[in-house]
Amino acid sequence: MTAGHWPLPTAPELSEEARALATGTAEHPIHPEHTPTGQLAFGVFFQGVNSSTIWRLPESGDQVAWESFESLIRTAERGKFAAFFLGEGLRLREHRGVPFELDVAGRPDAQTLLSALAAVTSKIGLVATQNTTFNDPVDLARRLQTLDLLSGGRAGWNIVTTDNAWTGENFRRGGYLDHADRYTHAEAFVQVAEQFWRGEKISHDGAHYTVRAEGTLPRSAQGRPTLFQAGASPAGQDFAARTSDVIFSPHASLSAAVDFRRSIVERTVAAGRDAGAVKILPGAEIVLAETEQEADEKVRWVRDLQIGPEQAIALLEQYWGRDLSEFDPEGPLPDVPPEVEESGVTRGAGFQYAKAEELTRTWREEAKEKGQNILEFARVKSGARRGEFTGSYDAVADRLAEYAALGAIDGLNITPWLIPSGLDDIVDHLIPRLQERGVYPEDYAGDTLRENLGLPPL
Amino acid sequence: MTVAATTEKENSAPVTTTDAPTTDSAAAAGAASDAQGRTLPVLAVDLVTTPELLGSLAELARGLEDAGVGALTLSDGGLHPIHVASHLAPLTRSVGLLPRTDAIYVEPFHLATQLMSLDHISHGRAGWLLLAETDPAVPPTVGRELLSLEQTAREAADVLAAARLVWDSWADDAVVRDTEKGLYFDASRLQYADARAETFSVRGPAITPRSPQGLLPVLVADTDREAVGEAATAAADGRVLDVDLAAGADAVRSALETALSGAEDGQAGEGQPALRLVRLTGLDLDADPLGTVQALAADLRAAGLIAPVPSAGVDLRTQLGLAPAPHVADPVRRSDRARLTSKESA
Ligand SMILES: Cc1cc2nc3c(=O)[nH]c(=O)nc-3n(C[C@H](O)[C@H](O)[C@H](O)COP(=O)(O)O)c2cc1C
Repeated sequence: MTAGHWPLPTAPELSEEARALATGTAEHPIHPEHTPTGQLAFGVFFQGVNSSTIWRLPESGDQVAWESFESLIRTAERGKFAAFFLGEGLRLREHRGVPFELDVAGRPDAQTLLSALAAVTSKIGLVATQNTTFNDPVDLARRLQTLDLLSGGRAGWNIVTTDNAWTGENFRRGGYLDHADRYTHAEAFVQVAEQFWRGEKISHDGAHYTVRAEGTLPRSAQGRPTLFQAGASPAGQDFAARTSDVIFSPHASLSAAVDFRRSIVERTVAAGRDAGAVKILPGAEIVLAETEQEADEKVRWVRDLQIGPEQAIALLEQYWGRDLSEFDPEGPLPDVPPEVEESGVTRGAGFQYAKAEELTRTWREEAKEKGQNILEFARVKSGARRGEFTGSYDAVADRLAEYAALGAIDGLNITPWLIPSGLDDIVDHLIPRLQERGVYPEDYAGDTLRENLGLPPL
Repeated sequence: MTVAATTEKENSAPVTTTDAPTTDSAAAAGAASDAQGRTLPVLAVDLVTTPELLGSLAELARGLEDAGVGALTLSDGGLHPIHVASHLAPLTRSVGLLPRTDAIYVEPFHLATQLMSLDHISHGRAGWLLLAETDPAVPPTVGRELLSLEQTAREAADVLAAARLVWDSWADDAVVRDTEKGLYFDASRLQYADARAETFSVRGPAITPRSPQGLLPVLVADTDREAVGEAATAAADGRVLDVDLAAGADAVRSALETALSGAEDGQAGEGQPALRLVRLTGLDLDADPLGTVQALAADLRAAGLIAPVPSAGVDLRTQLGLAPAPHVADPVRRSDRARLTSKESA
């Protein structure tokens, strides 16, 4: 650790952990080329299909009804959120060969929905997760530009590269792409899209297909849709460093966020771009209450609702690869061996079957040692009881202010555990405290997504 | 039609989950009919989705709705017609929203999902004006060769059949939210699409729960019929009479009268779908589009040539005089087959 000019003038407010993670000067605590903006932007990630949105409560709304989306986005816009995100999955998740019935499933097409939401909002960004493997670049580029024009420059594209043959069964080309080629293909795809947005003549001869087309639409108020990337591998990071404006990262803990920022700054600079060119918004769950103790209780309550007995058994079944329904969720982990031959995509888990024997044995031992039954074990495995952003309103605001001071992140992409009311306490109690601390905008900076994310004009 | 829903047909007689009639019947659906019992077509105005339309789009759509227009069709003028239709959904209350969009040089799965999403967003006001693209500039945009007219027609029919299989892959009551059993949905009420055509296949089920109308009304405009082909036209829910507004009010009226009397002569029989929509094209945005349309709508309605002004909360199928489309369950395609098989063999 290089001490430099650290600590910052505001150091007394920073925790031991934060100070230990800083390796640079007060101006550049994480990387010599990177200057923290000290500002945070929020997005809301409406996952649709997922395991963490609680559907069992009476206040859980319809997960596909227009009213749910409209209500959530209005709250987000009231809270000056920079963006409203929709996830994408192009095949219904399956578990042991049957559509997975325990969690929220089914969602409208992202861009069709966002085009409608553009009509009832005026400032918030509208970001669609869209896959580069199972879309045609010109078709997708035109849709995104349509959304960008309909919304006055508020469109974003969260680029994902999911590539398995199982998803491919829904598409003309099938599972045509090797996992190793997913980003090479994505990069060519984005180049074609950018040519389309610039209104150029496109003549692309790629490894998988050729494209001849011409962009015909005018530029939008932000120039082109804002590019997000979500994908955690080194290849994904390099792709983002070269092409994207924002990374939707999975790294929300302070130390992981600092490491990730450093990694992205290095890659961005190596790609010849400005160190701050790529914003980082980790996905995060926020659980808030008036006091720390109440927040602890609330987290326990949320986790219990997220992971019921059925989800706990299903989680183990993913790794055991067999029917475990005869086991008691309140009892010890199954004492039967996993079925290692059975393969296939279940819940998108990239489980390595060869290691199943070893893993299930380790888990059995771990649970026994800690005295956990199946349910308790599954709840712990599915995520810490307390997340990074769990606590009293003031504690979470302080913690976020610390992330901002370090420059570890540029904001959060919040996944509400309740739809549609899951942002209410964030907007009513957390945001005002962040504004008091000077790390969250009092109002929208402008009318486009780029402006509201603090990105320079194109 | 080359899309095969299933390979094995034994024990798989399709079962309807309700007793609703499956044949078109204006009386059953409650749509307006004239003295001869003919279902009156719904009046639509065509908007071409050019970027120049952006500034006036919301105002224009609301104005046309207020002028008594029953549906808006969105023709491709650059902006994507499905997105423009979707954008108009929360801005309007009762008009039908029908993108006129290509079935051929697209991914059938995406197309089906986008259209059923429009149906969710508009609370059952979505329809599809099926277009089969013949412009040679389009296929190279997706790396394909231009199909012959015959191939185009075959693919249009296949894509239509596949879209319906995707739309019909969730039962209305599939999302059960059973807190006792911990089930968000019931996989036995879902089925794979398993659409297998010559040039594509779609596994399914839909990634979107069943939309309000279940099967969206699919119409074919007279101007598109040749490219769309006979099979897809016959499989569609109805035809669309195209009339250019520039020809004047009298011409519109007489075209409609001729079309309606043609239907009476029995032309709506064999392979000839019933007239469901009159599509006014060539709206002059620089003139007084709202006034022109309002006068015309009032005139045609007074003459008993078009359906009444649609009421909010009534779906497009009903406005068009189409019977409801109940979910048809096919046991062979049930999405929990894998579980049943493993239970049987256990
Ligand atoms: C925060 C985050 C969100 C993601 N959301 C989606 C999504 O909505 N849909 C999807 O298909 N993939 C999603 N992905 C998965 C990425 O597309 C996936 O990681 C990709 O297949 C391969 O990238 P990688 O190998 O670099 O991780 C997400 C990934 C991350 C990190």
